[in-house]
Amino acid sequence: MKKVQFIYSLAIASLLFFVSCADRLDVLPTQTIDEQVALSTSKDVEAFLVGTYDGLQGGSANGDTYAGGFQYTSELLADAGEIRFGGTFSNLLDIWNKAITTNNSTAEGQWVRAYSTINRCNNVLGALDKVTDTKKVRVEGEALFVRAALYFELARFYAKQWGDGDNAANPAVPLVLTPTRDISDKDSRPRNSVAEVYAQVITDMTKAEANLPVANGVYATKGAAAAMLARIYLQQGNYTAAAAAADRVIAGGKYKLVTPFANAFNTKLTGGGANPAEYVFAIQVNDQDGFNGMNTFFGTTIGAIPGTAGRGDMRIQPAHIALYEAADTIRSKFFIKPSASSTNVFTYKFLDRFGHVPVIRLSEMYLTRAEANFRQGTTVGATPVSDINTVRARVGLSPLTTLTLAGILKERKLELAFEGFTLHDIKRTKASVGTLAWNSDKLILPIPQREIDVNKSLKQNSGY
Amino acid sequence: MKKRLQFCVSMLMILFSTVAYGQYVNVSGVITSSEDELPLVGVSVVVKGTSKGTISDIDGKYSISAPEKSTLVFSFVGFASIEKVLDGRTTIDVMLKPGADLLNEVVVTGYGSQIKRELTGNIARLKGKDIENMPVTSVDQALQGKAAGVYVNSGGGKLGQAVTVRIRGNSSISASSQPLYVVDGTPVTTGDLGNYGGDTNPLADINPNDIESMEILKDASAGAIYGARAANGVVLITTKRGKSGKTSVSANFQTGTSEATKRVPFLNAAEFETFYRQAAGYRDKLANIDPKDPSSYTQSIFGKDGFLDYYSLGTYGTPNQVDVDWQEKIFRKAPMNQADVQISGGNDKTRFFISGQVLDQKGTLIGNELTRLSSRLNLDHKATDWLSLGLTMSLTRTDNKRLPDDNAFSNPLQAVALTPFTPFTDPTTGLPVGAPPGDVNIPLYYNPILSIDYAKYKATVYRNLANAYAQVNFSSKFLFRTELGMDILNQNEEGYFQSQTVRNQSRAANGIGVNYGTFVTNYNTNSYFNYLNTFGDHNVEFTAGMSYNQSQTLTNFTEGTGFPSDSYRKIASAATKSGGSSTETNFRFLSYFARGNYKLMDRYLLGVSARIDGSSRFGANSRYSFFPAVSLGWILTDENFLKNIKALSFLKLRASYGGTGNSEVGNFPQLGLVQGDAGYVGIAGQRPSQIGNPNLKWETTFQTDFGVDFGLFNNRLSGEIDYYEKQTTGLLLEVNVPATTGFTRQFRNVGALENKGFELVLNSQNFVGDFKWSTSFNVATNANKVTDIQGQIIEGGIRNMNRVVEGQPIGVFFTAQYAGVDPANGNALWYKNTKNADGSIDRTTVTNADYSKVERVVVGNPNPKFVGGLTNTFSYKGIDLTVFFNGVLGSDINFYGVGQYGSANGIYEDNQTKDQLNAWRPDNTITDVPEARYLRSNGSQPSSRYIYDGSYIRLRTLTLGYNLPKGLISKMKLEKLRVYLSAQNLATFTKYKGWDPEVNSDTFTSNFAQGNDFYTPPMPRTLLFGLNVTF
Repeated sequence: MKKVQFIYSLAIASLLFFVSCADRLDVLPTQTIDEQVALSTSKDVEAFLVGTYDGLQGGSANGDTYAGGFQYTSELLADAGEIRFGGTFSNLLDIWNKAITTNNSTAEGQWVRAYSTINRCNNVLGALDKVTDTKKVRVEGEALFVRAALYFELARFYAKQWGDGDNAANPAVPLVLTPTRDISDKDSRPRNSVAEVYAQVITDMTKAEANLPVANGVYATKGAAAAMLARIYLQQGNYTAAAAAADRVIAGGKYKLVTPFANAFNTKLTGGGANPAEYVFAIQVNDQDGFNGMNTFFGTTIGAIPGTAGRGDMRIQPAHIALYEAADTIRSKFFIKPSASSTNVFTYKFLDRFGHVPVIRLSEMYLTRAEANFRQGTTVGATPVSDINTVRARVGLSPLTTLTLAGILKERKLELAFEGFTLHDIKRTKASVGTLAWNSDKLILPIPQREIDVNKSLKQNSGY
Repeated sequence: MKKRLQFCVSMLMILFSTVAYGQYVNVSGVITSSEDELPLVGVSVVVKGTSKGTISDIDGKYSISAPEKSTLVFSFVGFASIEKVLDGRTTIDVMLKPGADLLNEVVVTGYGSQIKRELTGNIARLKGKDIENMPVTSVDQALQGKAAGVYVNSGGGKLGQAVTVRIRGNSSISASSQPLYVVDGTPVTTGDLGNYGGDTNPLADINPNDIESMEILKDASAGAIYGARAANGVVLITTKRGKSGKTSVSANFQTGTSEATKRVPFLNAAEFETFYRQAAGYRDKLANIDPKDPSSYTQSIFGKDGFLDYYSLGTYGTPNQVDVDWQEKIFRKAPMNQADVQISGGNDKTRFFISGQVLDQKGTLIGNELTRLSSRLNLDHKATDWLSLGLTMSLTRTDNKRLPDDNAFSNPLQAVALTPFTPFTDPTTGLPVGAPPGDVNIPLYYNPILSIDYAKYKATVYRNLANAYAQVNFSSKFLFRTELGMDILNQNEEGYFQSQTVRNQSRAANGIGVNYGTFVTNYNTNSYFNYLNTFGDHNVEFTAGMSYNQSQTLTNFTEGTGFPSDSYRKIASAATKSGGSSTETNFRFLSYFARGNYKLMDRYLLGVSARIDGSSRFGANSRYSFFPAVSLGWILTDENFLKNIKALSFLKLRASYGGTGNSEVGNFPQLGLVQGDAGYVGIAGQRPSQIGNPNLKWETTFQTDFGVDFGLFNNRLSGEIDYYEKQTTGLLLEVNVPATTGFTRQFRNVGALENKGFELVLNSQNFVGDFKWSTSFNVATNANKVTDIQGQIIEGGIRNMNRVVEGQPIGVFFTAQYAGVDPANGNALWYKNTKNADGSIDRTTVTNADYSKVERVVVGNPNPKFVGGLTNTFSYKGIDLTVFFNGVLGSDINFYGVGQYGSANGIYEDNQTKDQLNAWRPDNTITDVPEARYLRSNGSQPSSRYIYDGSYIRLRTLTLGYNLPKGLISKMKLEKLRVYLSAQNLATFTKYKGWDPEVNSDTFTSNFAQGNDFYTPPMPRTLLFGLNVTF
C-alpha cells in the first residue's frame, strides 16, 4: 500500500469514526407532548376539559363509569330475580351473584377510570389562571361538575350508605383535589370519611350549578348540576333540598319529556344521534368515539334492526315484566326477543350501539320532586300526584288520584328500570336485595386489591 | 475476514514450531475435501515441530521441502487436522474431513471473529446446515434445542407469530427479554408490528436457508461489545458468501403437509346432554323448583324454547338432531411447498452468492397462510490488495393471512366452546350457522367460521436488509472497516369484514374495512479499526470503533364503514371514513466500543472489552452508560504437565465477568406525557398519558461465567461446561402506583433479579468408519429468582394469575390452592392458607362461599428448570438419518384460559372438556372434578386446579436422506442429488392435557405472563419430502 493511499484512507476512516452525532440523541415524542407544554394556553386547558368528558366515556367497551359501568353495576348488584346474567364476564357474574372478590375487575375498572378522570379535572382546576376570563367561570363549573359527580358515585359504591352509622367515621374514598405531577409517599392517601366526601361533592356541585350556563351543548349545564344535586340530596334523605334542586331543573324549562317514549332511547336509531329533549345529561357516543357500556351488556344484535349490537348478557326475566300494570302497554312492551324462537328477552332501552348513554333524564326529576314533596308533605313546584301523572301521561297511562310512597317508588322503578338506580334506591329506602338487607356488606364494592396492595394507608371494606 | 484468519492460523502454526531436522526432500500433493472431493484452497501444510510451512493453491496443490523423516500436519479451518509421516514418499494426497475439529472453527464475535480454541467468552455457534429446510416460518424457531441455555417457545401454531426466546433466563420484568438480533452487522427490527391480534414476528422475513451461521453471545464478555443492548444475549446472523472457484448451483424443493399435533376431547351431543341435565338439576334442587316446571333451570336448557331448542335450530330431540365436532371443522391438513435456488461462485477478486426462495405454507387452522418470496445477493470484491468492498442485500415479500389473537371469539379454536347440537350448516340458508339471513345469534357464541368465510386480514411485508462495507488493510496487521446497514420494513395490513361478521365486528353491519401502513426504517453504521500483531510469545489483537443506530417507525391507519355491497372491499367505496390516524416514533443509539485480546505462549488468554452507549430513551442526566467486561482463558493441554495424557486432547478453563444493559422499554419512558387522544365526539381533547421519571436509566446486568472446554480421545468426544450467574439491578420496572393519582403505572429503576445456571454441551463421534454415528447433546438449567421488587405488585396473564413475587422465579402462578372435592357433597374446596395467630399456616379448606377469604400462594412456575436437545446423526454410504429431540422440563402451564369456561363444571353453556364427565355425583364421590352446577361457580374460580405440568420431550425433527451415488449422478452431470423425508414434531411425550405444552398465548405478551393457554392452537406436525440437486 502506497503511503499516500494510506494517508487518504486513514483520513476518511477517521472522519467516519469521529463524526459527532451526540446531539442526535435528543429525540422528542411526536404524538404525545411533554406535560410542561400541554397546559400553557387557554386552549390547552379547554382541551383538557374536553378530556374530562372523554374520561367519563370510559376506557374500554365496558364503559367503565357513566358510559355504563356505574349503571349496570347498580342493576346487577341489586338484582333479585329480574335479570338473569348469562355472560362469561365472571366479574359481572360475581356481582350478580353477590359473590364479589377484591380483585373484581369492574370494581377496579371503575375506580381507576374515575380517578384518572378526576386527575384530568384537577389539571383543569389547577390551570384556571391560563383560561380566558370570559370562559373561566364555565370551565371551572364543568370541571367541578365532573369531579363532584365521580366522587359522589365512588362514595355510593365503595362506602356505606349515608346515614348507615356515623358518616364522619365511615370511610369513603380518598379525596384528591390537586393534579398529580410526580408520585411519592404522600400519594398513599387514606380514605376520607363519607361526611367529608359528601361535603366536598355538595360544595363543588353547588359551585358548578352557579357557574354553568343554562345551555352548553352536550356538556354539563346548570340543569345537569342541579339534577345531580337533587340526586345527591335524595341519597342523603335531605328531601327539602332534593325537591328544591329537582324543581330548579323542571322550572328551568330547558328539558321536555319526549313522545313517544321510544324516542328517549336508542338515540342514533331514533333521532340520528341528537340528544332527546329530556336528556339533562348524557354520555355522547358516535361511530368514531365512545362506548355504550349499557349496550355492550344489555343490548343484543337484532337481525332485523341494523345498528343493534351487544353481548346479550342481561336477560330480563318474567318477574320484572310482571311488575307493569296491564294498561302500561308501552313500557311493558319495551322488550324484545332477537328472534321468535329465542329464549332470551332484552330491554329495548339499549339496543343501539351508537346510542348516547342517558345519565339524567327529566322524568327522574319529576319522580324525585314527587317523592321528596310527598315525604315532606310539601308541594314545591307541583303536587306529587301531578308529577307522577306527568310521567304516566307520557306512556299513555291514566292519571292517578291518590298516591302512596310505595306507588311513587314503583313508578320510579319502572320508569327508570335498568338505568342504574336500583341499588342506590334500595339503600336509601332501606329496602332489601333478596335476603340481603339494604346495609349488607355484600352490597358495597371492595376497594380494588391493586389499590390496597400499593397504598398501605387504605383500609378494605368490612365485607372483604 | 475469514481468509485472513485462516492465514493467521497457518502463520501461527508456522511460528510456534521450533525443532529443525536435517536431510530435505521435496514433497507435493493435492488436498481435497472428503465432503465433495473438490480441491481445498489455503490449507496449511506444516512440517511438524518446525516453523516451515506452506499453503495449498487454488487447485488444492502444495509443494514443500521437508526433512526426510518428518511428519506433515495438514490443517484447515472447519476440517480435522491430519498428520502424515513422510516415510520416504514424495507425493502425499490428502483428503480432509470436515467439521471434526470444532476447535479451529471461526466464530463471529461482533465487530470481528475469533478461533473457537481461543474464545474466552461463551458463544454458541449454529451452522446453517443445522437449520436448513426446517419447516419453520422464522429462524428463531429453529434455535430450539440447538444451543445450550437458549429456550425457545413458539407460542402456538399460528404462522409468522412472535416467538419467545430466552437466553440464560429472563433478565427483565417490564423491559423486553428477547435477544438482540444482528444480521450481517446490523441490528434488525424484531418487535411486533401487527394490528390484528397477537404479536407478529419480523424475523419471518429472513430466509433461514440464506444463513451461514448463527452465533449466540451468551456471557458478558461476549455480549459487552453490544453494551446496553446485550443483557438478553445477542444472536449474530451471518449470511452465506460466495466461494471462489467453479460456480455452483444448488436447488432444493420440498413439499409436504402439516396437521395440528393434537386434539383435546370435548363432550359429544349425548355427553353434553347428560352433563347439563346434572348441572341444571342441581340448580333446580337448590331453588326448590320441579325440573319439569317451565321456569326451572332444566327446562331453560332442555324444554320447549329452551337453550338447546334454540341453538339446535329446533332440531334437538328430533330425528334431525346433529352431533357436531366443532374441533374437526377448524383444523385442516395444510400443504406446504418450498423451493430454493442458491448460486455461488467467483474468482480471486470477486465472489458472489445469489439465492431465491418461494415458500407457501398453509396453517393447520383454517384461514391461516404464509407465503414468502425472498431473494438475496451477497457480493465481495477485492478492489486492490488493500481495499475490499462488499454488499449483502436481501429483498423479501411476506404475505400472512392472519388469524386474530387467542382471546377473540373469531379465533377458530374457540369453536370448541360451541354446542355439539348446533348444526354446522343452517339448513334453511345452506350457509354456515349464524350467517344472515339466518339468526345471527346462533350458535352460542360467534361462529368463527364466519370470520374465515366472510372476512380477511392480510399483512404484506416488504423487507429490504442491506449492508455495504469497505475494508482497508493498511498492512497485514492493521485494518479499518466501515459498514452501513439498512433494514427497511414496509408493511401493509388490509382487513375487510363483511356484514356477516356483524356479531363479532359490531360495526360491520354494512361492512368494515381497515388499512394499516407501517414503515420502519432502521439505519446502522459501524466503523472500527482492528490491529493484530505478534511479538514473540505475545499475541495481541485490538479493536476500537463506533456505531450509530437510528430507527424510525411511521404508521398510518384508515378505516371505512358502510360499503354498497360486499363486492366492494376497498375503503374508497366506504360511505363513512370512520377512522384515521398517523403516528411516528424514533429511537437512536450512539455507541463507542473497544476490545483487546491478548494471548501469551498460545495458551494464556485475556480479553477485555468495553462499550459506551448513549440512547434517546433516557433523560439527559442518565443518557450514557459504560459497560466493561473482562475474560480469561487457560489452555491446559498446552502445558507440559498435561501433554502426556493421551486421552485428553484439549482442556481449556475460561472465566469472564462484565456488564451489559437493557433499554428495550419502548420510547420516551422517562417523560411526563400528555396525549391528544381524549377528544369527545368530534371535539379535540387531551389527557395526561404518562407520569414522568426524570431519573430513569438503564437496567444493568452483571454476569459471571466459568467454563471448561474439553476434548477427549483425539477430540472424538468434546464438550463444554459452563456455570453462570447473572445479576440484574435497577430493573426498568413499570410499577403500580395508587390509581388515586390518576395513573396506574410508572417506569422506575426498582429492584433486582438473578439467573443462575449450568450448561453442558457434548459432541461425540461414536462411529467414524463407513457407518458414522455422531451425537450432539446439550442441556441447561436456569434458576431465575426475583430478589427485590420493593413490595411492588406485578401481575399479568389470565385473570392476573401470573405474578412477580420476591424470592420466586418471575411470573409464578400465584392463586388459590385447590384442595379437591368434598366427597360428601361435591363442593369444590380450597386451602385457606392464611396465617394463624401462632404464625402457622391454616390448612383448613373453604368452599365457594368463602373463596375470597383464601390466601393466594405460589402454585406453579412457567419457567422451565431444564431445557435441552439431543441430536443423533447416522450415515452409511449415501444414507443419512438425523433424529433430533428437544425437551423442556419443569415448566407449568395455566389452562385456565380454556378451563374457566370449558372445564368449569357447567357454569356456562360452553361445551366442556371430556374430563368434566368425571364430575362429582352421589354415585361418583371420589373425584377431583366438583359437582356440575349450572350458572354457579363451583371450582371454576382461578386456582391451582388449572395449573398443569407442561414438561415435554418432543421428537422435533426426523430426517432420512439419501445421496445418490457419485457414479450415477456424474453421468447426469450433477454434483449432488439428495432426496429426503423429514418430519417435524412427529411425537410429543407430555402429561399436559391441553393441545400443546409448547404454548404461550399471544393474548399475553409480557415477560411475567408466560405459560398461558387460551384456546391456543397447537404446533403443526409436518411431513415433508425434499429433493436437493447441485450442479
